[in-house]
Amino acid sequence: MRTNSDGDAAAIGRIPFGPIVILVAAVASTLLLAARPAQDRHEVRMWTFARLHHQIYQQQVAEWNVAQTPRIDLSLLSLLAIEQRMLSAFLAETTVAELIEVERRNAARAFAGPLESVGFVDLTDRLKAEGLDQAINPASFSPWTTRGRIFGLPHDVHPVMLGYRADIVESAGIDVSKIETWDDFAHVLGPLMADRDADGRPRRYLLNLWETHFEVIELLLLQAGGGLFDSDGRPTLDDPINADVLVQLAVWCAGPDRIAADVPYFSASGNKLLLDGYVIASFVPDWMCNIWRNEIPQLAGKVKLMPLPAWKPGGRRTSVWGGTMLGISRTAANQEALWEFAKYLYLSPISARELYTKGDIVTPVRSLWSDPVFDQPDAYFSGQAKGRMYIELAPHVPVRHSSPFGAIAADRLQTAAISVAAYARRAPGATRAELLSEARRALAVAQADVLANVRRNSFVRADFHEEAGQ
Amino acid sequence: MIRQQAQSADSGRIGGALVHAVLLASAALIIIPLIWLVCASLKRNEDFFTSRFLPAGSGFLGVAWERLTLDHFRSLAQLGIGRAALISVFLASVTAVVATMAAAMGGFALARLRFPGRRLAESLVLAAIIIPPTLLLAPGYQLLFQLGLLDTMAGLILPAAAPAFGVYLFRQATLSSVPPQLLEAARIDGCGDISAFFKIALPLVMPMVSAFLMITFLGTWNNFLTPQVVLQTPSNFPLAVTVAQLRGVYYQEYGLLMAGTLVSIAPLLLLFLLLQRDFISGLTSGAVKG
Repeated sequence: MRTNSDGDAAAIGRIPFGPIVILVAAVASTLLLAARPAQDRHEVRMWTFARLHHQIYQQQVAEWNVAQTPRIDLSLLSLLAIEQRMLSAFLAETTVAELIEVERRNAARAFAGPLESVGFVDLTDRLKAEGLDQAINPASFSPWTTRGRIFGLPHDVHPVMLGYRADIVESAGIDVSKIETWDDFAHVLGPLMADRDADGRPRRYLLNLWETHFEVIELLLLQAGGGLFDSDGRPTLDDPINADVLVQLAVWCAGPDRIAADVPYFSASGNKLLLDGYVIASFVPDWMCNIWRNEIPQLAGKVKLMPLPAWKPGGRRTSVWGGTMLGISRTAANQEALWEFAKYLYLSPISARELYTKGDIVTPVRSLWSDPVFDQPDAYFSGQAKGRMYIELAPHVPVRHSSPFGAIAADRLQTAAISVAAYARRAPGATRAELLSEARRALAVAQADVLANVRRNSFVRADFHEEAGQ
Repeated sequence: MIRQQAQSADSGRIGGALVHAVLLASAALIIIPLIWLVCASLKRNEDFFTSRFLPAGSGFLGVAWERLTLDHFRSLAQLGIGRAALISVFLASVTAVVATMAAAMGGFALARLRFPGRRLAESLVLAAIIIPPTLLLAPGYQLLFQLGLLDTMAGLILPAAAPAFGVYLFRQATLSSVPPQLLEAARIDGCGDISAFFKIALPLVMPMVSAFLMITFLGTWNNFLTPQVVLQTPSNFPLAVTVAQLRGVYYQEYGLLMAGTLVSIAPLLLLFLLLQRDFISGLTSGAVKG
């Protein structure tokens, strides 16, 4: 027995090429980095998670830095990195940016402790004193509100419409203005699902929806008047409205008269299916217009928007998807100046225009909705004045109540939706009452699970805590 | 006899051809995604979902060459990809050099030096190998914060400077490649421990040095999590983090993302092609054969 190293005797003593290359790289890169000019350090750091926001803000931040103090250093970080650092800072007092722009689910995780320990500055009194609580669309505050206190300045409203393939719909002679409810939607567009080649399956489906699309399911619950939490932070998964929506979802996705198909949002495969016209309509919040425009430019002039069909006649024609806030870190110095900057960045007329023209996002400031920029026809959406359409729906956006347990509730709701759809597939002849019974069962399990988690938190809501234990 | 030899030669040729066919198929499986990546980095958004490799057209080979673009690479340059590449080279090479030297010294000490607490040190090194690095992220972050090393290059290099796996690897390499008699002879000639390490042990474990340098270089180059957590200033981000930042929360610029991915793997591919002999000889130098 011997080792290979015996055979490497010839190599011993000489320095191989590899280490020399790495050594040279180490020395050269060290010298080059040492020669880098020292960076201009700003007084205040601001983190954002969205490339689009970063692009939009750069000009405004540069102008602020020329004319005002403190000087802002804007950084783009991944959402996960922001969440981790934010929570580390709030819980263990590590370093954090003075201004943090964060998405609603991540922000809610910071609301788990006692109110006085939330890492963001409580903005409630400032907002009320300056009348901003009235100037801003009320529903936009709800994701940043916990136990009646507001911890973030809202960035958006994010009403939702249906984006549909106008080229296919109109060439079939269908008039979408006849659609008022979801039943109308299935009835009016139904002919588009005709199985022309008689292979037992249609070439296309009407709706981009699946039991795994959690965010879409949540927006449907909210549109119907349901939701995951009430204003006290109490889980409401077992709400009867939620059960009705899950039943309809199962009928659409897994029933014998299925109209929905799985076209994944935010994915290359999903974009390809949209391009191929595999589904007629998708859920499109204002921000998604920008994604479609950039990722699927081939759909320009082929798509249009329409309000969501209501659950019942005269019902709500929109919902809400996504949301961003700007928070001021509680440990930040000079909070008055940071508040001024936050208002400049989010609430000025110039910001509202930039946000819409570059990002298709509608400002939450109601007085700015009269800007003619929102009336301009959008060639991508076949000449529709989509800004105005979203603004008309904005006051009807449902309120979403935040909770640090939002991620758990979302997960359990997803499980319930999958369970009901699976039941519908196992029993194709199941009646609506049977599906409803399954939905109630699955949601009761979900509710109990989320409640069990919430009960462990002694800060979120002391009074409902006791009720939950009963 | 001649006929048998001819038959044997024929079957050898057939076997060789079969082996080559399998190897070619395997190589194709590996190289096709790379070709797709290169094509994707050159395509415009309009063509991204409508063509599998290159956009079809009336040009040479049926490709619409005029539709290809270098815009994604230009955008990358504007986003500071060059600076990120330099930082990646710095972090990977300096960490590789420091970690290899520290691990080689530590391994030599554990293998050939006698000192109080050696057994305990060996046990600690072995125990450290068992702990998954991800588990150390949170306490490591807290420690770096207390030391004031967050958002610094030192905060990335120092924790990686003495990897337990490397120390143990070099301990084993020293035990198998550095005879104690040689060290005793060197000591009789007046050689101290440090001289013995640099003049006797290090040359004898040089194949392992090459391999470990490469392993550490590759590991640091590809490391995303630690720089993402420790660094906070975007101008200090290495390639792995910079490329990850190209991925939006919802909106994706696929061409840009593919171009970024290509830029981040190209230097590694080049390095491996240049140094593959050193790398493989280092990896096999400790192997045992009968």
